[in-house]
Amino acid sequence: MIVSRRSRFDSVLHASRWVVFVAVALLVNFPVLSTILTSFKTNADINAYPPKWIFEPTLEHYRAVLASPNIDYSHYIMNSIVIATVGTIFAIVLTLPAAYAMARQRVGSSWLLPLITNLRALPLIIFAIPFYFMYKQVGLLDTRLGLALIACVINIPIALVLFVGFVQDVPRELDDAAKIDGASMWKTLWHVVLPLSRPVMLAVFLLSFIYSWNEFLFGLILTTKSAVPVTVGATFFVTSRGIEWGPTAAAMTIGILPPLILGLFAYPYIGKSMLAGAVKG
Amino acid sequence: MSNATSFEMKERAAARVLLVPLCLFMAALLGFPTLINLWYSFSDVSFQNMIGSFVGLDNYAAALSNPKMWQALGFSLKFAVICTTLQVVAALVLVFILHPLLAKRPWMTAILMLPMMVSPALMGVMYRLILNEFTGPIPVYLEMMGYGVNFLGRGNIYKTVVAIEVLQWTPFAFLILLTARQTISYELEEAAAVDGATGFRSTLHILLPMMKPALVIVVFVRFIDSFRVFDHIYVLTGGGPGNLTTSISIYIYKLFFVQNTLGEAVAVSILLLMMSLALIVAAMRLVVRRN
Repeated sequence: MIVSRRSRFDSVLHASRWVVFVAVALLVNFPVLSTILTSFKTNADINAYPPKWIFEPTLEHYRAVLASPNIDYSHYIMNSIVIATVGTIFAIVLTLPAAYAMARQRVGSSWLLPLITNLRALPLIIFAIPFYFMYKQVGLLDTRLGLALIACVINIPIALVLFVGFVQDVPRELDDAAKIDGASMWKTLWHVVLPLSRPVMLAVFLLSFIYSWNEFLFGLILTTKSAVPVTVGATFFVTSRGIEWGPTAAAMTIGILPPLILGLFAYPYIGKSMLAGAVKG
Repeated sequence: MSNATSFEMKERAAARVLLVPLCLFMAALLGFPTLINLWYSFSDVSFQNMIGSFVGLDNYAAALSNPKMWQALGFSLKFAVICTTLQVVAALVLVFILHPLLAKRPWMTAILMLPMMVSPALMGVMYRLILNEFTGPIPVYLEMMGYGVNFLGRGNIYKTVVAIEVLQWTPFAFLILLTARQTISYELEEAAAVDGATGFRSTLHILLPMMKPALVIVVFVRFIDSFRVFDHIYVLTGGGPGNLTTSISIYIYKLFFVQNTLGEAVAVSILLLMMSLALIVAAMRLVVRRN
């Protein structure tokens, strides 16, 4: 008797957990869901009252967006891809050797590591004005390289934290064996650490790419035409000619999809990087 | 001097070389701009005169005596406090409800994590679409149920920008707290559960303290992030109507790019830098003392 009442209670509890999950998942993802659906609707379906959830999908808005005469959206997509990729590679090249030095020889781990990890807490607007003038002087305004450098700055803290954690987990014996064979530090880094770093490299790449892709403020301030990233370019659809629902929704969908897909694989590392930064920082 | 120590010293010297590229890069791209900023804050810089000449504390005086600066600062502080509280409480409750469900189903966690992968700027635009008074699905459904709500109107806009921030970033708080919750060992949970008489409460008394470091991080990160909010508010309202939703970041942007009062913009940004540093140092102290 008691057992069965208990198990009934458990199954009700279990079911209510599912209800909560579905409700929360729908609530937080509603804008994304609704926008993606809208992007595949014909104009008639978009204006239907009440809103339609089942309809025959169309690709006309995607064609319109990519062929738009006023807004060169495919160019903006390319900008974002280049900026995020280059910024990510820069960040990896700069932080992996430094992380090795910090974790193994403990040089800079007491001041440089906390200094850099805390940088991600600063409001970025503080640097917007000097960057504007600096870039104007050296001709980096409205260039992909200019935004890639900023993407790199933004990604350095998270890359460093993840790499330091990774090097700490590499068994010291591997380094020592290489050392006995007479390998220099660079060689050890190249032949021992780098091949082992593939999983953490993937994590850093995914997170950096997502953060760079989603950056908006510097894109807004430092670009006007040729280096406009997707996040800024997508807003042109709203402001330039009222709201054209279909094309805007299609542009949004294109703009959010890459990080959304990468995020499915990357999210566990976000938890890890945050907790690691706090314990070691 | 023994061979071993000279070898070690050589090692350390080699290791320092590995830090050089990173240090140079950060000095060039963050140190240098900060110095420029500092100089600009004491000068009458403008788009025409990019070097400027020394004007003492004029910019700071102008910045501090502008009531709009205090209004924007107040907005950001209040926004950060409200959003952080709502996010952390919601995330904590959800962790306790959903943890048993998610433990062996990572794909379900992934679904909840999707909002934080979306660019906040694009999230803002998407809400602008779905909250549109005439064609947005949410107002339309509410209308069908007899509630006419204008989410983007003057009366509701504050609640709307808060709600968007909370809905997008509660998943982040949830993820960190869930990660912390999942590292608590099964034995410990069992030990807590054996104490059946007080069930739920004893679980809270044992689990919550163990999640405290993660809680501190979440509060800190979310507070800072909400405090510096720019993207979704900018695309949704541009800081308006009036200055109703002007955060400190949007305020600096407007001073710089809209009103062309460069010196004042720089002065406010230096003040913001100092406030942020004070906050970071305080938080670091808190964490270090805990360890």
